[in-house]
Amino acid sequence: MKIITANRLTDGRVIYRTSDGQWTPSLAEAQPLDNDEADNALAIAEGEFGIAVGPYLIDYTEGEPGGQKWRREGIRLAGPTAGTTRTLGAA
Amino acid sequence: MLTSQLDHQTRTLADAQLAAGGGDIVTLNGADHWRDVKDRVEGAIQVDIEFDSFKDGRGFTLANQLRQRLGYAGRLRATGDIIPDQAGFLKRVGFDAIAPDRGDLAADWAKAEAQFSLAYQPANDQSATIIDLRERSGADLTQLNAKYREQDALEVLRDAIENTWKGRIAIMSSFGAEAAIGLHLVSRVAPDTPVLFLDTGRLFAQTEQYQRELSEKLGLTNVRVIRPSETEISAEDADGKLWSRNADACCDLRKVRPLDGVLNEYDALITGRKRFHGGDRLSLPLVERINGSIRVNPLSNWSAEEIDAYFERYDLPRHPLTEMGYASIGCWTCTAPATDGDVRSGRWSGQDKSECGIHRPSPLEAPVAAE
Amino acid sequence: MYRYDDFDARLVRERIAEFRDQVERRIDGRLTEDQFKPLRLMNGVYLQLHAYMLRVAIPYGALRAEQMRMLATISGKYDRGYGHFTTRQNIQYNWPSLVDIPDILEELASVEMHAIQTSGNCIRNVTADPFAGAAADELEDSRPWAEIIRQWSTLHPEFTFLPRKFKIAINGAAEDRAGIRVHDIGLQIVENEAGARGFEVWVGGGQGRTPRLARLVKDFVEPRDLLSYLTAILRVYNQHGRRDNLYKARIKILVDALGVEAFAAEVDEEWSYIRDGELRLPQSEILRIRSFFSTPSITEASPVPEAGPAAFRHWLKHNHRDHQTAGLSSVVISLKPIGGTPGDATTGQMQVVADLTEHYGFDEVRVTPDQNLVLPHVRNEDLFAVWTALVDAKLATANAGLATDIVACPGLDYCNLANARSIPVSQAISSTLEAEGLSEAAGDVTIKISGCINACGHHHVAAIGVLGVDKRGEEFYQITLGGAFGADASIGEIVGKGLAAEDVPGAIARILKSYLAQRLGDERFIDTLRRLGSDAFKEAIYADLAA
Repeated sequence: MKIITANRLTDGRVIYRTSDGQWTPSLAEAQPLDNDEADNALAIAEGEFGIAVGPYLIDYTEGEPGGQKWRREGIRLAGPTAGTTRTLGAA
Repeated sequence: MLTSQLDHQTRTLADAQLAAGGGDIVTLNGADHWRDVKDRVEGAIQVDIEFDSFKDGRGFTLANQLRQRLGYAGRLRATGDIIPDQAGFLKRVGFDAIAPDRGDLAADWAKAEAQFSLAYQPANDQSATIIDLRERSGADLTQLNAKYREQDALEVLRDAIENTWKGRIAIMSSFGAEAAIGLHLVSRVAPDTPVLFLDTGRLFAQTEQYQRELSEKLGLTNVRVIRPSETEISAEDADGKLWSRNADACCDLRKVRPLDGVLNEYDALITGRKRFHGGDRLSLPLVERINGSIRVNPLSNWSAEEIDAYFERYDLPRHPLTEMGYASIGCWTCTAPATDGDVRSGRWSGQDKSECGIHRPSPLEAPVAAE
Repeated sequence: MYRYDDFDARLVRERIAEFRDQVERRIDGRLTEDQFKPLRLMNGVYLQLHAYMLRVAIPYGALRAEQMRMLATISGKYDRGYGHFTTRQNIQYNWPSLVDIPDILEELASVEMHAIQTSGNCIRNVTADPFAGAAADELEDSRPWAEIIRQWSTLHPEFTFLPRKFKIAINGAAEDRAGIRVHDIGLQIVENEAGARGFEVWVGGGQGRTPRLARLVKDFVEPRDLLSYLTAILRVYNQHGRRDNLYKARIKILVDALGVEAFAAEVDEEWSYIRDGELRLPQSEILRIRSFFSTPSITEASPVPEAGPAAFRHWLKHNHRDHQTAGLSSVVISLKPIGGTPGDATTGQMQVVADLTEHYGFDEVRVTPDQNLVLPHVRNEDLFAVWTALVDAKLATANAGLATDIVACPGLDYCNLANARSIPVSQAISSTLEAEGLSEAAGDVTIKISGCINACGHHHVAAIGVLGVDKRGEEFYQITLGGAFGADASIGEIVGKGLAAEDVPGAIARILKSYLAQRLGDERFIDTLRRLGSDAFKEAIYADLAA
């Protein structure tokens, strides 16, 4: 399965495409797409203007980002695995 | 700074108008090198430089080179994938017209063109650079004088010698009555600072002796003796009496010109001039520009009392002639003892002259005064 | 320190207005992302994995207390309570909103700062020796020249859309602490036989995919000709640099392709035409700029303290640097706490540094290419007070120049280009080396980590470099040995195949143990390495690892 992701234009936050053509920060609310419908859906998202920057497809397996880019997409979803963002957030 | 707006046009319309008047329109690409297009550009009434992508900046250099190296003076138009944010740059490298692919952003182009009122770099649009504007305002010296006003003479010299003009500064000294102060201060910062000693050929023997004594005592290791040209002396002052006929000409021959020869080697000269000397020196700043070269006057606000105190504190030897009432010492031909406590009254006594000319702007640069 | 005049200030304000307008046009669609991207990059705005990133320029790494305080304020008000200092002496904020950036720029402008040309295919923010104006081995302060170059390169009409980014560094001391051999242009202040000062010009250095050491293109350029010579180089590059292949677009590839003689001849041809023109620097301008930069002079010189708590003396041993003025010292504020994130400082830490800068630092603080901070001028009698305050702020790690003083890029935790993470690997290396006592024992060793081949973590020029790569979704780390950034600059060699992340700290520990066993006398790591060759350490790297 595939999911369409992008960054939000105004603040750069990670967003995912929903089934009604909206964008959400929650992967759970995103629309999983069959591989054969994914390209079409991406073309539509690319043609839109206003909310998303640089939409692209990611692999999606069992509720999580999958494929070779699983780590990168996992970090995009959950935030940095290390660094001051985390240490300050935990404090 | 913008003199005229970029002529914003749709390509076909403008070409049609131009073609109606006759003449060649040459189309180049940003990828073309100026050397290869020389023949094509000659005689053109308009040159278009096509941008394949706004991110490809070769067209900016090409335009610049057409204007500068090929001397192309006709119309120069940018076409293709250019964006409003480039308006100022296009104009500055020499374009006077644009025909962008996207034709609906005229308002953005006009706004972008007026975005910047200043630039650091010289370019082809004849506008003054920030450096020019600073030069005109004398901002460099204003800044420096403000800083030096907060410092004492030693600090000023330390900054001047070790920082601001490091390796490019010398002290000019007559080895006269007060010279020991400036030389001593300089020796405290860097005794190898070049000391320019002007031997006019008309100095008191006592001065020459004092120069040797003082240099040794202060450990000055880099005294340069500057003398007038023998050839010029035999041509202009064969009988040695020029001083009595024309003191200005004599100073010019024996002081101003010899010094000019070495001034080019330094960016700045330290002088011992002080405001209490009076005359033209009453408004003496700590740093000034004379004929494009810098004079640092660290003692400008010292009083006669401070000078005496300094001599005593550091036990500095006096010029032998000061015992005889000379307060300011130049050539024997034109120096007499001072009168009435006016330090420089003994210089060119009886003449309407108070400066030899080495500290004075040349006529071209002199401020215009009501005469 | 340089202070803006009305002209500088006006230009920065106009630049902010332009950027505010560009953001507006992007939001309402008059600019596409393809058009906006190069424009935002030229103002230091990236789009990273999680958010926009703003890189703020710290020209030649120098800040006043008020400026450091503003960086702290911005980190708290618009970001998440910290900032990241970079190998190019700048600072990055990882979480600002695009729509807030024009306001951040206004705040920066209020203390004479900006984000101009901190990214993009233009002349980048110029870098210099972080100890300029202080170092004991200095010939001439490089900062005035860096400022002159900063102004000349700012919003340059001809060189804002270059084939690729362009970095200039300048060094005025005997030891190269600016890395002039790994910049597009490296300038070294020299004195010629006649005793006159000028510049040696090195061109075509760089890291990234094709690391190169810069070649000497001119052995002496007179100060007044500096800008015309730089212009000639840029003009040749702008015309002839490759634009068909992103990876071959840097000037180093052009110098390779033409050969250094032909390249230099081309530059000279152009230079001869413009040398005596408007670009000649007026003496008054050199003077004006130079008048802003000075080294403090003090009247009473105290010696560097030799007594005090052991921790203080240990900190002095590693973080103290000699100063050109008797009675003053430079100190390194390490941003490399053991197991911490290299180069990060919290809002509170930046405020403490600002206070120290103001009270003890003659109002100057610097950022180094090693991602540390430096107080260049501290009175020797104030060193203890400075150290005490740093201890309280957890900024007194005594490891400047040691193996735990690790340089690392943000890596895959933040960066859109990264292939592998850098921060957790650096943290693990730091903790392991400290626990085994190797950081202290091994002395001066540089370890630098990049999360991809773009080499922002400078791994090519580390004695021990670590390069993160991605193999089908798994992170691996290649070790390089023998690189050096400044003095005797060299590019490290890859040693063997990549390691899994968890094997990296052990491998580096074994390299250092092997060095300690093989060194002659008090030989430094890099010297042992050069004497024996990197193969001598290969076994250490792969020992204990299942094949």
